[in-house]
Amino acid sequence: MKKTAWFLAALAVVCACQKDPETPDDSTQEASLPEAPAQEARLLFLLNEGAMGTNNASLDVLNVAQGTYVTGAFKKQNPDAGAGLGDVGNDIAVVADEVWMVINNSGLVEVVSAQDQKEIAAIQVATPRNLAFDDKYAYVTSWNGAYAKGSYDENYKYVITDYKNPKGVVYRINLSTKKVDGSVEVGYQPEGIAFQDGKLYVANSGGISSQLAPNYAYDKTLSIIDTQSFTVTKTVDVQVNLKNVYADGKGNIYVTTLGNYADVHSGLYMLTADGSVKHVGDYVSMSTILDGTVYCVGAENEYDWAAASKIYKAWTAKEGVKADWNFTMDAAVPYGLFALNPETFFVADAVDYWNPGKLSCYYKGKKVWTVTVGVCPGHFAIW
Amino acid sequence: MICLQAPDSLQASYVYAVKELPVVRPSEEVQLSQEVAPPVLVADILRRFTGVQVKDYGGLGGLKTVNVRSLGSEHVGVFLDGIQVDNAQNMQVDLGRFSTEGIGQVSLYNGQKTRRLQTAKEYASGAAVHLDSKRPVHSGGQFRVRGGSFGTINPSASWNQVLGRVTLRVSAEFLHSDGQYKYPCFDTTLVRENSDIRSLRLETQLFGSVKGGEWQLRLYAYGSERGFPGPVIRRALGFPFSAERQADQDLFIQGGWNQDWTARYATAVKFKYANNYTHYNTHPEKNPMSMPWDVHYRQQSAYLSLAQSLVLCSPWSVDLSTDVQHNTLDADSGQFVRPRRTAFTGALATRVVWEKFRAAAHLVYQGTWDRYDASEAGGWSRENSYRDAWMPSLSLFYAPWKWLEADAFVKRSYRLPSFNDLYYTQMGNASLRPESAFQAGADIRAQAALRSWDWELRVSPYYNRVSDKIVAIPTSSQFRWTMLNIGIVDVLGVDIKARTGFHEGDWQGVLTLRYTFQQALDHSDPASLTWGNQVPYIPRHSGSGDLLLGWRKWSFCWESTFTGERWSRSANIPDYRLAPWSISDAALSYTLDLSRRLALDLSLRCNNLFNQRYQIVQGYPMPGFNAMLSLTLRIC
Repeated sequence: MKKTAWFLAALAVVCACQKDPETPDDSTQEASLPEAPAQEARLLFLLNEGAMGTNNASLDVLNVAQGTYVTGAFKKQNPDAGAGLGDVGNDIAVVADEVWMVINNSGLVEVVSAQDQKEIAAIQVATPRNLAFDDKYAYVTSWNGAYAKGSYDENYKYVITDYKNPKGVVYRINLSTKKVDGSVEVGYQPEGIAFQDGKLYVANSGGISSQLAPNYAYDKTLSIIDTQSFTVTKTVDVQVNLKNVYADGKGNIYVTTLGNYADVHSGLYMLTADGSVKHVGDYVSMSTILDGTVYCVGAENEYDWAAASKIYKAWTAKEGVKADWNFTMDAAVPYGLFALNPETFFVADAVDYWNPGKLSCYYKGKKVWTVTVGVCPGHFAIW
Repeated sequence: MICLQAPDSLQASYVYAVKELPVVRPSEEVQLSQEVAPPVLVADILRRFTGVQVKDYGGLGGLKTVNVRSLGSEHVGVFLDGIQVDNAQNMQVDLGRFSTEGIGQVSLYNGQKTRRLQTAKEYASGAAVHLDSKRPVHSGGQFRVRGGSFGTINPSASWNQVLGRVTLRVSAEFLHSDGQYKYPCFDTTLVRENSDIRSLRLETQLFGSVKGGEWQLRLYAYGSERGFPGPVIRRALGFPFSAERQADQDLFIQGGWNQDWTARYATAVKFKYANNYTHYNTHPEKNPMSMPWDVHYRQQSAYLSLAQSLVLCSPWSVDLSTDVQHNTLDADSGQFVRPRRTAFTGALATRVVWEKFRAAAHLVYQGTWDRYDASEAGGWSRENSYRDAWMPSLSLFYAPWKWLEADAFVKRSYRLPSFNDLYYTQMGNASLRPESAFQAGADIRAQAALRSWDWELRVSPYYNRVSDKIVAIPTSSQFRWTMLNIGIVDVLGVDIKARTGFHEGDWQGVLTLRYTFQQALDHSDPASLTWGNQVPYIPRHSGSGDLLLGWRKWSFCWESTFTGERWSRSANIPDYRLAPWSISDAALSYTLDLSRRLALDLSLRCNNLFNQRYQIVQGYPMPGFNAMLSLTLRIC
């Protein structure tokens, strides 16, 4: 009996001391571009959202010149940041050789160097969603209104003042000090934001309001902020559940909507320079903009919850005019779209939203390569 | 005092009446009276069983579900005195709700339990955990206080009173734990917050006998209030991981009456009414990072079962069991569709029982009607609201010699889509089919006794296939999920258990070693990256070892469990690998006889002796070393 006791104790100790095996580095994949991009791009960044609550947002980097694709670049370049990038990466953008990433459920805006992806700053912002820049500031939309409205006190502690479904805000962050230096209230659960000609355009979704008593209603407005005075100068009705905002550089603003999952479909709307709103087309699952053209992919059976697969159709919009786009892609769950030039597109496939996704490069309508990426690949930026 | 006899020795089984000879033995069976300082929760007993994975979110208040042989916890039926503890909302039973106090025996059946006068639902679940209360034989009582680490205090009291042919048992139990344990959080060490629980359980049971029969009645009330500490993630300073709280009030009344009418014909009637109230609140005023949910749920179920058993001729008997059940779920969240479900389950079973060879065949039919108020739920169809399934199974038993016996089974069972799968506002697909599980398994047992020693070896290979697995798939919006029947999992495994016991003079001892191999592969989509990978949270290798020693009034036990590497998702890559872990617990107990009718048990249980830092579910750290002292006063 003594022997067996010793055996058990030994078993316990052996197991307790077992070390994790060394993980092999298989994070670099071959991914050469068929055509050098017109713009002088060095790196293409892909922010993988990860799954909520599992702390697995990640940053992937495609080196355009070398034709290599590296996954998990943030963790690799910042080995001391034990917690990694965080929980739910929601937006990414490049400004002045810096990559800015919105880490939604971590309550952080992460700033890294574009060159080597080393951390420069992690800025606290409650439930941040999307960002845009002018030459002095970054502007971050935040739902903190919807969750629990409050503000930062002098010690940078977030103090809650109201939590009964108040409105969201846009925070203004100084690009050089990396400090929040102002905020302005917008609509319910603001999402996308774009800057054009001294104005910010903010898409209000009402994603949470739609689930809350007494109204159970989506927001349907676009808030227009004058950056000089940093106040909302105008609120424009568009359609329920606004999502992304694009400025086409010609004075027009495009807004995508998610619809109400019942009778109002997802779609694309245009706010013209004269202030009128035009419905461009329906069905937008993912979209991007290049040189004033908005590229959309949508599912025509998007509200058929029992369908095993969705029927995707691609289309474009230029100057508010919808046109067919002969683009067939093979993706289980198209989740992100990026146009490098009019012939080169990237499609991010979330696969099952839980396991690593895929990124495919399409050139002249043909798939040239596919690489394995992080979980829920959704947001692109180019440097 | 502990009793260390083999619970299921072969010799004993030969003296049962033909009617009572089991065709299949439980895969595991534990008499709680034989445990040294039993753990507070039943889940901690199941953890040691072969083929069982307890998914534990940590702490006494954390959710604990049981997965048997990789079928998924929705396929595991939990039965309290033969009546199913069900949860139509999500089909998962939280075994963290069941205290070891008042439970006499915990057993696990893989495949098919097949006994006389079972309810139809006992035939219908893929695997079954049975919690059976002990029928008191004498008047007497027990007062116990357990307390220890993480601010845990657990007083309980029970009294049994024999009143002629009726025995009354009343019991009460309170549990408080603040759940504040240290854990490594990335590169620092934090204390788990919002992990506390308070619960109170009050029960009255009546056990009675009549000529040729017996009956029992149980009134159960349970209330709890707890926090959910949330997953450990990177989060900006000043924001908590979670402020979620849940309050529960569970009430049920259940009863049963078994009656032998003639030597050949017997019936069993069972019933249950349950009313479960849950209040879930994310408290956005305390955690601005949380979704603002504040929802009250009320789930009710009414259940009636009639089982009939007829011995046709000496070795051959036929059973017919018919169950009806009605479930409702109400909530005050927006657009809630208030689903109602009426289910009929019928089981026809036939058994041939000789001493050396026994066989049983079962055919179960289950049909469910769902209705829901869809006036506010746009885009959902009412189609396919009737679902039905046939579930056949076959069990064989053969004992060529006294020292060797074997049984085998094949079975197809289904689990219904839960109310959440079908009707949850933000995710739901009203045209889901039931999820199917095919199982085939064998159990070979060899046993020997030599002087004061006895030995037992069990080897149980099995193959399972879960198909039409219900999988949650988000749509183009993160707010809107849908459920589809798309998963297939193939499971190949073997459970091995070796046991030896001795009894010599004042000494007695039992050593049990268990090992489980499980290869559970995702075979959903050959084009997928995860095809052929091990499914989440299933270790290929796991095992446990227990040593029990008794000397006069002292008893001691040592329990070690080991779980090999796992992945938190079917992508078996380093990012999602969970390290293997092993923990060891030890307990020491001493019985002090105060008088002829009064005894005091003193015991100390130390869990996670080597202070292992581990996670069963990714993002949910488990407690390190903890200790529990227990004082039990027994009056008989």
